[in-house]
Amino acid sequence: MNSWKQSLAVRWMVFSQRPVMHLSRLFAGRMFHGSGELGADDLDLGMGVVLIFLAMPGVLVSLLMFEKYGSLIRFLRGDGTFDPFTATIPDEYFFIVLSMVVSCATALWRWNSIFLDRRDYVSLVPLPVSLAKIFLANLFAIFALAALLTVVVNAASFVLFPIAVVGSQGSFSKLFRFAFGHALSVSLSSAFCLLAIFALSGTLLACLPYRIVRKVSVYVRFAVAFCLLAPLATSFTVSSILSGGSKLLFQRLGGMPPWFLGLTETLWGNGNDIFFASLTRRAAFSLGLALLISVISYAVSFRRAFVRIPEFADVGPLPRGRRFPLPAMLLNATILRAAKLRTCYHFVSRTLLRSEAHLQIVLAFTALGLVVAAQTINSAYHPGFFFAAWPPSVALLSIPFILTYCLLVGIRLAFEVPSDLSANWIFKLWIERDGEHARQIARRVLLTFSLGWIAPLCLLYSALLWGWLTALLPTGILIACSMVLVEVLLVRFRKIPFTCPYPAFQSNSPLVLLAYLVGFGIFAVYIPRIARWALETRLGAVGFIPVILLSLAGLRQFRKQMLDMDKQLIFEEDSASRF
Amino acid sequence: MLGYLGPNGSGKSTTVKMLTGLLQPTRGQVLFEGRDIQSDLVSYRKRLGYVPEAANLYPLLTGQEYLEMVGTFRAMSLAQMKSKISSLLELFSLFAHRHVSLGSYSKGMRQRILLIAALMDNPDVLILDEPLSGLDVTSVLIFKNLIQAFSALGKGVFYCSHILEVVEKVCSQLLILRSGHVIAYGSTEDVRRRIGQSSLERIFLELGEDADVVKVANEIVDVVVAPS
Repeated sequence: MNSWKQSLAVRWMVFSQRPVMHLSRLFAGRMFHGSGELGADDLDLGMGVVLIFLAMPGVLVSLLMFEKYGSLIRFLRGDGTFDPFTATIPDEYFFIVLSMVVSCATALWRWNSIFLDRRDYVSLVPLPVSLAKIFLANLFAIFALAALLTVVVNAASFVLFPIAVVGSQGSFSKLFRFAFGHALSVSLSSAFCLLAIFALSGTLLACLPYRIVRKVSVYVRFAVAFCLLAPLATSFTVSSILSGGSKLLFQRLGGMPPWFLGLTETLWGNGNDIFFASLTRRAAFSLGLALLISVISYAVSFRRAFVRIPEFADVGPLPRGRRFPLPAMLLNATILRAAKLRTCYHFVSRTLLRSEAHLQIVLAFTALGLVVAAQTINSAYHPGFFFAAWPPSVALLSIPFILTYCLLVGIRLAFEVPSDLSANWIFKLWIERDGEHARQIARRVLLTFSLGWIAPLCLLYSALLWGWLTALLPTGILIACSMVLVEVLLVRFRKIPFTCPYPAFQSNSPLVLLAYLVGFGIFAVYIPRIARWALETRLGAVGFIPVILLSLAGLRQFRKQMLDMDKQLIFEEDSASRF
Repeated sequence: MLGYLGPNGSGKSTTVKMLTGLLQPTRGQVLFEGRDIQSDLVSYRKRLGYVPEAANLYPLLTGQEYLEMVGTFRAMSLAQMKSKISSLLELFSLFAHRHVSLGSYSKGMRQRILLIAALMDNPDVLILDEPLSGLDVTSVLIFKNLIQAFSALGKGVFYCSHILEVVEKVCSQLLILRSGHVIAYGSTEDVRRRIGQSSLERIFLELGEDADVVKVANEIVDVVVAPS
C-alpha cells in the first residue's frame, strides 16, 4: 500500500515538475496577483482572501434560505408542506444570476491578466521553451482557473441551499436530485460566464489591433458590467414574478439566466416538457459555443497578438482626452486658478481617465448607478404613467441623485487606489504638508466629474418635462446636497489622490460600508422625496437652505476640532496592517 | 562639484534624501547659504535641481505634461515654462516624443526627462543620483560637458554615482562613504595623493570595499563552468 502511495507521489512530483505545469502555475498565479500593467499598483489580496470574498455572496444568500425554508420557521408561520422543486424557482433564479454575476465580475477584474502580454513574452520566449508549451500552459491555466472559480463561487450553495430546502423532508433521493440539479445549473451558468468573458477578450485581441484593444477594453468591460448588473438589479422583481411559475413569464424574461433555469427544471425532472427542453438546449448550446469561441479566439489571439509582440512598439498607456481642450481651459480660468491646484487637478483627472484600474472602478459604479436608476423608473412605471405629469414622480426626481451618489462614491473609492507609488516623490518634494491641497483637489475632481455633466442634464430634462422655473429647484437641491455629500466624503481626507498605498483594513470598515448604504438611502431616496414635497409646496424649498448651511457648518466645525496632525498631508498610512 | 561615492548601503541615498528635504536628519542640520533648509523648504527646493536614482515617473502622463507639472510646482511663468520645455525637449532629442506617455519611454528617455525637469528652472544646486543610468554614449558625453559648464557658472553639483570614471573626470571634489562614515574627503588629486593610488577605481577599492573583487570574480567563473 505504501509503495503504491509512494509511486503515485513520485509520479505526481515528476509530472508537476514538467515545464508545462511550471508555466501553468506561473500563469494561474499572475491571473490572481495582477498583470503587472504599467502604472497599476494591483491590489494583491492573496489567493485565500480572494477566494473567501468570492464565496461570501453564496454563503450569505444560502444562509438566508434557512430562514425562508427552515421547518421550524415554516411551522411557526403556519406554512404546510411544500414542493421544493416549485417553491424554490425564484431562489434558484437568483442563485443562477448571482453565480453568473460573481464569476463575470471576477473575470472582468482580471481581464488584463487572462492573456499573455509583453512581460510574458520577454521573460519566457528567450528561454528554451517552445511556443506550443506556452500556449497550452496558459490555456490549461485559464480552464483550471475557470473550474476553480466555478466551484468556489458556488461551493456554499451546493451544500447549504439543498439542506435548507430539502433537508427536513426526510428523502435522500429528493435531496440528491435537488442538490444535483442546483449544483450543475449554477456551475454551468458560472462556467458559461467565465468562458464568455474569455471569448470576448480573445475575440477582441484576435480581431482588433493591440492599440485599439487597449483603448476600447475598459468600455467593453463597462458595457458587460452594465449588462450583468441589470439581471442582478431586477432579480428580486423577477423572483417575485416567477413565484407563479408561469411559462409565459419565462418567455418574457429573455437573456441567459432563464436558459439555465430551464436546465435546472430539466434536471429536477421536468425534462419532458417541450418548453423546458428547449431552454435546456439553448443553455447547452450557449455553453458549447462559449467554449468553442474561447478556444478559437485564444488560439487566434496567441498567433496574432502574442507571437507578434516584438513587431509592435510598446505603446504604454494611451493618453486620452487631448481632443477637448475647451473644458480644461474653462476650468483653468475659473476654479483652478491657483497653479499647484491646477497641476494636481490635471494629474488626478488624467490618471482617473487614463488608468484602466481607476476608470474601471468609476465605470463600475456608474454602471451600478445606471442600473439602479433604470430599475427605479421601471418599478415606478405603470400603464397610466406620464413622464411630464405634475407633481413630478419621485422616481424621475431621484435619477440624478442616484447617479451622482454612485459616481461620487466610485471616484472617492478610486482615490484610494495608488498609481505608481515610487513616482510620488515629486509631490513629496513640492506639496506643503500643512496645506489644504488634498481636500481642495479632491473636492474639485469629485464635483466636476459628477455635477459637471449630471447637473446640466438634470436641468435640461427637468426643463423639458416641467418648465425652466421648476427645473431650477431640483437642480439646485442636487447641487447643494452633492456639495454636502462631497464634504462628508472628504472630512478626513488628507492625501493627494493615488499617491498613497491602499488604506489599512480597520475594525470600523464594515460600519463605513454600512454608512455608505445608509447614505444612499438618504441621498437617493429621501432627498428626492423632500424635493418633490418642496416642488409641491414651493415654499418648502426655502427649508433646504438652513439645512444645507447647518450641515456645512457642522462639517467645518468637525474639521476645526480635529488635531492638526490629523489634517496634515500624508503619503503613507501609519498602520502596518493592510490587506 | 562634489563626487559622492560609496558601496551599496553606505548611506548615499539617505544623504541625498536629507539634502533634498525628503528626509529629516535625526541629528544635525542641512545648511544652505548658512540657513537650515527645513526653515523654508519651498524656497530652498526652488533653487534645487534633483535627479533621483530610479527614473520613477507617472507612466500615465506624457513627457510634456510631466514637465509642465514640474514647471508649475516650481512656480515658473507659463511662457518661460513652455519655451524652456520645448527647447530642452528639442536639445535632449525628445521633442518628437513629447505627447507619448512616459510609460512607453525607454530608461534613457525617462532619465533625460528627469534631467530636463531638474535643469529647466535654472537651479543653483544640482543633486544628481546616478544620473547616467540608461543614457546612450552621446547623451553621456553631452551630460558630462553640460555639468562641467554648469559648474563653471558657479553652481553647485552634488554627484552621486557608481561610475568612477565619470566621477574622476567630472568632479573637482571627492567624498567616499562607508557604513555612514566619511572615510575620505578632499579634491580628487588630494585624495589620490593621500592614498597613493593612481586611479579612482583603486582608491575606491582600497577605501570602500572589503571584498577581494578578483577572488569573487574567479569564484563566480568556477561555479559557472563547474560540470553538472
